[in-house]
Amino acid sequence: MLNDIFIKPFVDMVEAPDFLLQVLWEGLVSGILYALIALGFVLIFRSSRIFNFAQGIMVVFAALTLVGLHEMGVPAWISVGLTLAVMFVLAVTIERVVLRPLVGQPDIILFMATIGITLFLIGFGEIIFGGENKVMITEELGIPTDSVVLEPWGGLLILEQKDITAVVVAALLVGALLLFLNKTRMGRAIRALGDDHQAALSVGISLQTIWVLVWFIAGIIALVTGIAWGARAGVSFALEVIAYKALPVLMLGGLESITGAIIGGLMIGILEKVFEIYWGQPLLGGNTETWFAFVLALIVLLFRPQGLFGEKIIERV
Amino acid sequence: MKHFTRLAAAAVVGAVMGTAAVAQELYAPNLSYRTGPFAATGIPLMNGQRDYMLMLNARDGGIGGVPVNFEECETGYSTEKGVECYEKTKGRAIVTQPWSTGITLQVLPKTNVDEIPILAPGYGFSPMADGKVFQWAFNTPASYWDAASMIVQYLEAEGSLEGKKIAFLHLDHPYGKEPLPLLEKLSADKGFEMVPIPVGLKEMQNQSAQWLQIRRERPDYVVMWGWGAMNAGAITEAVKTKFPMENFIGVWWAGHDADLKIVGADGAGYKSISWSYPVLDAPVLADIKQHVVDAGDSMSNPEEMEGVFYNRGLVISMILAEGIKAAQEHTGNAEITAADLRWGLENLNITEERLAELGMTGMVPPFQTTCANHTGHSGGWMLEWDGEKFVKVSDLLMADAEVIQPLEAEKAAEYAEANAPWAVSETCDAES
Repeated sequence: MLNDIFIKPFVDMVEAPDFLLQVLWEGLVSGILYALIALGFVLIFRSSRIFNFAQGIMVVFAALTLVGLHEMGVPAWISVGLTLAVMFVLAVTIERVVLRPLVGQPDIILFMATIGITLFLIGFGEIIFGGENKVMITEELGIPTDSVVLEPWGGLLILEQKDITAVVVAALLVGALLLFLNKTRMGRAIRALGDDHQAALSVGISLQTIWVLVWFIAGIIALVTGIAWGARAGVSFALEVIAYKALPVLMLGGLESITGAIIGGLMIGILEKVFEIYWGQPLLGGNTETWFAFVLALIVLLFRPQGLFGEKIIERV
Repeated sequence: MKHFTRLAAAAVVGAVMGTAAVAQELYAPNLSYRTGPFAATGIPLMNGQRDYMLMLNARDGGIGGVPVNFEECETGYSTEKGVECYEKTKGRAIVTQPWSTGITLQVLPKTNVDEIPILAPGYGFSPMADGKVFQWAFNTPASYWDAASMIVQYLEAEGSLEGKKIAFLHLDHPYGKEPLPLLEKLSADKGFEMVPIPVGLKEMQNQSAQWLQIRRERPDYVVMWGWGAMNAGAITEAVKTKFPMENFIGVWWAGHDADLKIVGADGAGYKSISWSYPVLDAPVLADIKQHVVDAGDSMSNPEEMEGVFYNRGLVISMILAEGIKAAQEHTGNAEITAADLRWGLENLNITEERLAELGMTGMVPPFQTTCANHTGHSGGWMLEWDGEKFVKVSDLLMADAEVIQPLEAEKAAEYAEANAPWAVSETCDAES
């Protein structure tokens, strides 16, 4: 037993390094996508202290809108533009109809409101688009769908070009987001609001504008995530459950840290894959990805309740 | 006082008329799931079921002249919601159509007390075939163990399975685990190694770990018990990892056209065992077009109506309708009770001649149920995705009754013992 836990997995890794590379690559791709979903949560939480339960359904809604518009005959890239417009309208509507009337209410009320948004978007989406599985317009968007087959150490490593595209686009998106938050006036306003609501308001930062902006950015992230996940196995309401994978990422990385979301996502993506392949499947019958990330996050929380990158809250009494 | 008496009399008359009005229908609710992660596979099935019943109502005025109230109660494939739907509808229902193995297992003990037949065509608990123990449950026309047996037989026809390895990719859910007892027995009997590979609900669309395991295990075949988004996830991963599609076989719920259209020609060679087959020039489809589609009452679309799942939905409603008809003829009453329907479902005799009368020749193999045999064991065909649609690639395959029936009896007895006191029909007298 000790051999199976402490020796054999590492021997397997050394004996089949191409397979290990494949495991790491699959973990990286999953991790990037987890990180994208977590980013949507973090952005909204930083600016409004709202834990946005609707982030998962926003991914589905954005992807369905894109595919739905294309099915209606709209060219692919115009569909992307129109989907972004829809996500902007959604952001404005949420700010006007849901958030603005609830300003000053306890956090739990705002959280409950996002559950309401989720239920609304599920019902509205099913009425408009139906519940059928739809094919993501991968090729129409110019995303390559072939594979790159490599033979490291005489083995086999398959890299899907759409996964490579997802990783590159996600990295560019994160870079652009960091630039926006750190180098632009609006970005600094978002950060200021996250640091101290009252102080930010006192210097003239508009709460309404910032909320619309962050929900719109979360919508853009949702669209990119939806395209990436949808290209893997189609677009359906089942995509929503993937959002739950972002919860341990947030627990690990901290709810307020963009860096935490990215590193947390990558860590969970890679570690859960490595654990599943080398320990979970041989020793525990598999399907450990269902719980591994949560256990890892709980262990981190035992030592750092604010997560790896979250800010320590000090309350003076 | 006089005023009160009049009011009371009016109330009584109203109640009687109301009861009469309610009774003028056959209430056959469907615990559907058009929403949630499994909606993509649920919708075409529900549409097929619904269209068949609407067609009977429009063309024949229902069954035996009584319209069918085919109300849907949405479960989202959630077991908890399914049980709520059962409780909500059981007062008037003549049948429960639970539409999930999880829901079936939950309501199975209740139906024995409430005395409402469960109709779970091609799903649910395989030992429900034993009508002596499961007096109120029907998994007509074939069980999951039938499916596993037929798949293994099909593979065996390609060569001995001795020393071969079969990966069993399945949803980590009661449905996915259902064929395990039979597969374990077949594995021991035939000398192949079976590697169970579970897929969690959250991993349905991201099965890279499962397919890495398949790559490492190098199985000769992959057999899939997938459902909903899991099917599309598995098929795309199989294409991605270049697994030979001709060695990849799914159960009948993993043979949905829309799942394969995602990969198109790359999925050519993938197979699915099936007890139903779309016959696009079948007269029943013309009747549905005339009475339901042209009337604007269908929720389906032309593409879906050519698919395996929509047509299976038609067959499922046909089974229920034939059960109702048999019960009506047996009792002489057009308005039957749940107990009458149980008799009807125990005395189904779907012959080639009857299928021709129904305009459904070739859509389902002939089968017959009895008091002791609630499945009928119709057998099935192996279907193959040709890049655009599923086509039949085998003659009728029949499950190995010699292996399955003793296991059914054993597991049914175990269930009855675990759920004691459990009413068992020793004589198998449907009237008892």
